Amino acid sequence: MSAFFMELVSRTDEARREFETNSRVLDIVANGLNLERYRKLLLELYHVVWHFNPTCAAAACRITDQHRDVRYFLYDHMNEEKGHEEWVLNDLQVVGVSGEQARAYEPTLVMLGLNGYNYWSADRRHPCSVLGMLYALEVVASVYGGQMTAAITESLLLEGDRGISFISSHATLDAEHLADLRVVLNKIEDEPAQAAVIESTVFNFHQFGRVLESV
Amino acid sequence: MNEVADSTLVPSALSRPYRYVRLEWNAEFAMLTVRMGVRPIQCYSLAAMAELQQLFNDISANPGLIRHFVMASDVQGVFNFGGDLSLFVLLVRARDLESLRLYARRCIDLVWWWETAATLGVHTTALVQGDALGGGLESALLHHTVIFERGAQAGYPEVLFNLFPGMGGWNLTIRKCGHAVANDMILTGQVYTADQLLRRGLVDHVVEDGTGAAAVQDIVRHMEPRFRGVIAALQARRMAAPISHENLLAIVDHWAVTAMSLTTRDMRLMERLARAQVRKVGGAGEGAVEEIKRMELDTAWGFERTGLSEWSTLT
Repeated sequence: MSAFFMELVSRTDEARREFETNSRVLDIVANGLNLERYRKLLLELYHVVWHFNPTCAAAACRITDQHRDVRYFLYDHMNEEKGHEEWVLNDLQVVGVSGEQARAYEPTLVMLGLNGYNYWSADRRHPCSVLGMLYALEVVASVYGGQMTAAITESLLLEGDRGISFISSHATLDAEHLADLRVVLNKIEDEPAQAAVIESTVFNFHQFGRVLESV
Repeated sequence: MNEVADSTLVPSALSRPYRYVRLEWNAEFAMLTVRMGVRPIQCYSLAAMAELQQLFNDISANPGLIRHFVMASDVQGVFNFGGDLSLFVLLVRARDLESLRLYARRCIDLVWWWETAATLGVHTTALVQGDALGGGLESALLHHTVIFERGAQAGYPEVLFNLFPGMGGWNLTIRKCGHAVANDMILTGQVYTADQLLRRGLVDHVVEDGTGAAAVQDIVRHMEPRFRGVIAALQARRMAAPISHENLLAIVDHWAVTAMSLTTRDMRLMERLARAQVRKVGGAGEGAVEEIKRMELDTAWGFERTGLSEWSTLT
């Protein structure tokens, strides 16, 4: 039997490619975003980041000792991600959106759906499903984040990392996280947990594509 | 009323609900044309490879059903860009050598079917009507007959991001036109026009744009009276210049290990190519081929004159 990571990559490859070939994603990679749309992307991303650790915590507190490696992985990961919402707020500040405005922003329904699914899945489906969220977001960041950073920087004439630090730094950071995630995914051997991770990955790729469509 | 059999209906033994390959049938020549369509960027994705493997299994399970196999593209301007670059980046970043090796070995399974097609009594033709890069060119060269339309271009750009064509590129290029041409093509990463490839002996026929399908028909029609002899000769050609499965696997394993050592800069270059192609899909005039040419110029001139390269900004 092949390791679960390869199975996850294979069985969610169609979902990854559908995200990659979404016309809005292609447009962002090719042409970047105008200021208005970039602001909206960051405002939406703020809600991904803000709910990331609570979702992981919801999963971690439900994970049994059978998957203690996953639980420990989540502890470490949450610690690393803590405070990253500030990076989004800093970028928003650069593009003219204050912290108050950002916190008052009401996310789109597709973003509510994304976060809602991830909480529900951790609570009611299987707590290991949270690894599907991590996998999808880290693939989006590390595989496509670099291309998006380059395109947005060009389209908005940004200098260095100014205004794009969140996306840019996650393109690099999540590349390292992906290797760690592979190790923990390969420790998941039971079918219900694997099925939950696969479903969550497919949903997160799908819904993140919708989020980008909404901006 | 007598029913007339539809001579273009794909035989039921080969007919499946494929998503990434479209089949065309010509009963007169028992010719199956496979048009691959992975959109928007034509490449060997896992799903497309699974469909091709299924098709190959069906052909192998029905000996004598087809005499001619033609590989073409359903995507305007592109034959194939080879491997799925995003999947490579994903697996390299996840430091997952085993999965990359598994992907590469699936490629070799396809390569081996093409390489041994003559033993099944099948003559294969690549109809290249658009650009073929990396694995796309390797897959074209696997065919017994290689036809390029004049506007098509091809090359092995892998060296530009510190990789090499691992799925038979060396074996096939050396066998067809010798070490010197293979060295030149693989070690420079240069892109060649159809006529340049014809002069190097890599391509068998160059025809005008839009006339490729008719050229295939002509070649097949002329071959039909001596078909059995051609197949026997092609089998003998493999004996004369063999490519072994063991050797292909050894090279592809070396390829996977090499890919694992790609740096962030190398992967940014891969992404730059992918981004160029995305721009072309979005309506821009220039795509991956033009980007490769810019990279070549950047290396050849820019760095020499200024000591600076656009690449040097990539970290």
